[in-house]
Amino acid sequence: MLRASLKDLWARKLRLLATSAAVVLGVAFMCGTLVLTDTVGRTFDDLFADVNRGTDAYVRGEAVIEGDFGDDAQRPRIDDSIVTLVAGVDGVAEAEGDVLGYAQIVGRDGKALGNPGFGAPTFGGIWSDSALNPFTLAEGTAPVLQDEAVIDRKSAKDGKLAVGDRATILTPEPIQVTIVGIATFGTLDSPGGASFVGMNRAAAQQNFGEPGKFDAVGVVAADGVSQEEVRDRIAAVLPEGHEVITGAELTKENQDAVAQGLGFFRTILLTFAGIALFVGSFIIYNTFGIIVAQRTRELALLRAIGASRRQVLRTVLIESAFVGILASIVGLLAGIGVARLLKALLDAAGLEVPAGGIVVSTSTVVTAFVVGLGVAVTSAYFPARRAARVPPLAAMRDVAFERTTASRVRVVIGVVVVAVAALALAAGVSGDGSLPMVGLGALATIVGILILGPLLARPITGALGAPLPRLKGMTGVLARQNASRNPKRTASTAAALMIGVSLVGFITVFAASAQKSVNQVIDDNFVADIIVQGSGGFGGFSPRLAEDLRDLDEIEQVAAMRFGQAIVGESSAFMMGFSTNVGAMFDFGLTEGGIEGLGLDGIAVNVDYAEENDLTLGSTVDVQFVQGGRNAYEVRALYTDKILAGSYFVSTEAFDRYTTEQFDSMVFVTARDGVAATDLVAAVEDAAAPYPTAEVQDIAGFKESQAAQFRTLLNLIYGLLFLAIFIALLGIANTLALSIHERTRELGLLRAVGMTKGQVRSTVRWESVLMALLGTALGLGVGLLLGWAMAQAMRSEGFTAFSVPFGQLAVICVLAAIAGVVAAIWPARRAARLDILDAIAAE
Amino acid sequence: MPPAVAATVTTAAARAVNAVKVYGSGQTEVRALDDVTADFDAGRFTAIMGPSGSGKSTLMHCLAGLDNLTAGEVWIGDQRVDTLDDKRLTQLRRDQVGFVFQAFNLVPTLTAAENVTLPLSLAGRKPDPAWLDTVIDTVGLRDRLHHRPSELSGGQQQRVAVARALASRPAIVFADEPTGNLDSRASAEILDFMQRAVEDLGQTIVMVTHDPVSASHASRVVFLADGRIVDELADPTAESVIDMMKRLGGE
Repeated sequence: MLRASLKDLWARKLRLLATSAAVVLGVAFMCGTLVLTDTVGRTFDDLFADVNRGTDAYVRGEAVIEGDFGDDAQRPRIDDSIVTLVAGVDGVAEAEGDVLGYAQIVGRDGKALGNPGFGAPTFGGIWSDSALNPFTLAEGTAPVLQDEAVIDRKSAKDGKLAVGDRATILTPEPIQVTIVGIATFGTLDSPGGASFVGMNRAAAQQNFGEPGKFDAVGVVAADGVSQEEVRDRIAAVLPEGHEVITGAELTKENQDAVAQGLGFFRTILLTFAGIALFVGSFIIYNTFGIIVAQRTRELALLRAIGASRRQVLRTVLIESAFVGILASIVGLLAGIGVARLLKALLDAAGLEVPAGGIVVSTSTVVTAFVVGLGVAVTSAYFPARRAARVPPLAAMRDVAFERTTASRVRVVIGVVVVAVAALALAAGVSGDGSLPMVGLGALATIVGILILGPLLARPITGALGAPLPRLKGMTGVLARQNASRNPKRTASTAAALMIGVSLVGFITVFAASAQKSVNQVIDDNFVADIIVQGSGGFGGFSPRLAEDLRDLDEIEQVAAMRFGQAIVGESSAFMMGFSTNVGAMFDFGLTEGGIEGLGLDGIAVNVDYAEENDLTLGSTVDVQFVQGGRNAYEVRALYTDKILAGSYFVSTEAFDRYTTEQFDSMVFVTARDGVAATDLVAAVEDAAAPYPTAEVQDIAGFKESQAAQFRTLLNLIYGLLFLAIFIALLGIANTLALSIHERTRELGLLRAVGMTKGQVRSTVRWESVLMALLGTALGLGVGLLLGWAMAQAMRSEGFTAFSVPFGQLAVICVLAAIAGVVAAIWPARRAARLDILDAIAAE
Repeated sequence: MPPAVAATVTTAAARAVNAVKVYGSGQTEVRALDDVTADFDAGRFTAIMGPSGSGKSTLMHCLAGLDNLTAGEVWIGDQRVDTLDDKRLTQLRRDQVGFVFQAFNLVPTLTAAENVTLPLSLAGRKPDPAWLDTVIDTVGLRDRLHHRPSELSGGQQQRVAVARALASRPAIVFADEPTGNLDSRASAEILDFMQRAVEDLGQTIVMVTHDPVSASHASRVVFLADGRIVDELADPTAESVIDMMKRLGGE
């Protein structure tokens, strides 16, 4: 039996390849993700091991505020007296204060290098000759004077800066320095794409930290003293509020933080790989379903001459296992290429990640095989079971077509699932909305449509194809009939496309609605004339810009917004600080109290948050900022807005008091009466010139920059979903090719009675277009529904608008039709090339 | 050289002139048609008979433009067939030729009526309603027009096929063992319809068969063996055909 399967497989090499392709792409995407994240992870692991090589112990502030992605935890600074204290501990050979702060280098062209809000960090610190300094001078000298700096070689290259040049560093205040040295990181130009500015101790404290303070103290142990010993000895003398860890622990911590960030990133990419594999499984299911139907006679013959059901089941499963193994091998190899492609995609989206030598771990290889084989064999199982049920008598009958009637069970289950979907969605959008319910509803909707697909396929393709007979005559009639002659097959082929398109539709609708909501807020609530924001919507700029603007004659009022991490109540959260005059620029929908009186110990709270936490005017909220202990803040204002202000905010004064680094992420400006818009913009732009990361926008420009952020995200998601859609198109081509093989005699007959090759191609092409449009129509229907449900469920989060971007959806339909035409090229050509006599004679 | 039997007769619906068809080459060479010259008169029902491998199907396929000759000429009416490209051959089959095959004659997704008018629809032409009525009544399909092939019996399916072959009023209809899959009653019906199509409606039919009873419905039988025309018989009966077969087999 095994020999028979293998021979059969070899005889159908091409089909084996075409079928494998559907899984190959999913496996490749998955392996690419694993390889990329492993590679980036290894690069960072090595990097931190190098950075901390000379460090035996590390002293720092004890209080910590975790960031959202694990790698931006913040701690209070420590006094420089700690250095002397630690240096005096027995077994300490050297103790060096360390400053790590924000420092962004401005290139020769006036543009700031890097984007700390969205990419590798840009940091500044102390340049020392100590073993604790991981950098080495490649050119020039160490910085001695207050305005001298060493920069990393990557920044020097990117910014076209050389030793002896004067350059601007944003700290975030712009400062002027003379570059006296260029440093490398081992053999690398820069540690993982990060930029570095090194200055003498006093200058680094002054510019990147705080005079008299360090962020940490690095310790080198004396010979013969272990890391643990030196750590324990230091711990014994440290005052409260400080902690000490070994160099190894520090490295581990750094590596874990990166792994956590990468894990997040990996999960997202694997989700899309999973979607692609899910879509691929439909192709396998479909292909094997058709193969089994076509081989009914052969299988029946096997049964008639004594093969058991089990043996028949096994032949089909063995074929699928080969598909799986082939797909795993090719997918794994292709994955390495995909890793590079993904990196390029992420680079293009602005998420630059450093990557050294490619890492293919054992677990990646194992995963590739488990997933490739698993998807192929699982998807082929149901067709295989159907094959095993072929009665021996079928060998005597004429080739039987697949049963096309939908079973009663299918209808009942389908209707029940759709009912569950409807109930879940209804529950999800009612009241305050429930995202888990919408999620359940989404899942049930898709499953329901998949189950009911064969019932929907005929009426929908019939309706979509209604104009075809009039447009294309007999070819149109045939294309329409062919598309619905086997609704089960058409449905499962279209379903693969539906999945990808529904996600595209959902994202498109949801993004359009979100953007409309944001635009509404901007239109309704913004009173400001000009908005200055960090470039690309991320990062920030010096608060001094707001001060500069206040001095301008053209300007009536200036208000700033900054944000950082704080612990509110029990949980770590984004905390914003607003100038207390911001009420004049932005309508927060104040219900009680006022922003003007927030002062140093007041907080403004969103009404929903207030309700959830039983807060009223006068009650207090505990907030812990990085540099301060836990303080109680009195609720002095309640507001309804959610888009700009989030759940709570404090005054900029309160914010500045306990945070380490202060950036404004937005500054709002209103013009003095009678100042022309162009004059205002020109004045603000002049003032902002020394701050290269600040972008000046009027309201329209601000809207556009918001839209651009949505677009970037959308394009990234479209790019990731493209694979799933591409696989679905492969599925259409595959189904068509198999159907054509099945219809050989019919095609021979049509050619004999006068169908031209062109008409044959046209028939196949239109059948393909109908299948593509069926998948697209179902997908857009589902996507629209889910987009609406999601927007409704998030009304209380500030998503007040619902918008259907008809233009974009129409473009998707047109693209689907074109894709259908493209998918049909190869099958259509094969169909047209059939030899008539062979076809007529074909069994 | 065989005599150019009827090269001057202009009423031939189809002609083969010194037709040669060779399959394979060298040792495995098979001469399916070995210098065949024959005329098939318009308005006549001709049967081509011969044992398996005699070349009767090949002759029909070449006459109908489904297969290419190695040498010689094939004509349908005044149109030389063997020099046409695929596109023109297709148009010729669509407009000038009708086909009835042994099995799988109909497109399963189309109704009987749609199958009947298929060649016309492919050409984008409207059928002549009076002629169509005549054809449909001749084959007795009126009450089955909106059924799909799967809802028709084998005999009914072949009747639809005959109607399709006649619907475009072609210069010639080729039938390849049209009753091969039918029981004797259904066979007799189909042959009867074909006969009436020739006698009452003035159509031309060339039928390949190995069944003497079927051949007896024709007005002329051409006998092939080893790729050559070996004899022919006018106004045959089943008995005379069997006699002829015996004689040829005995040679």
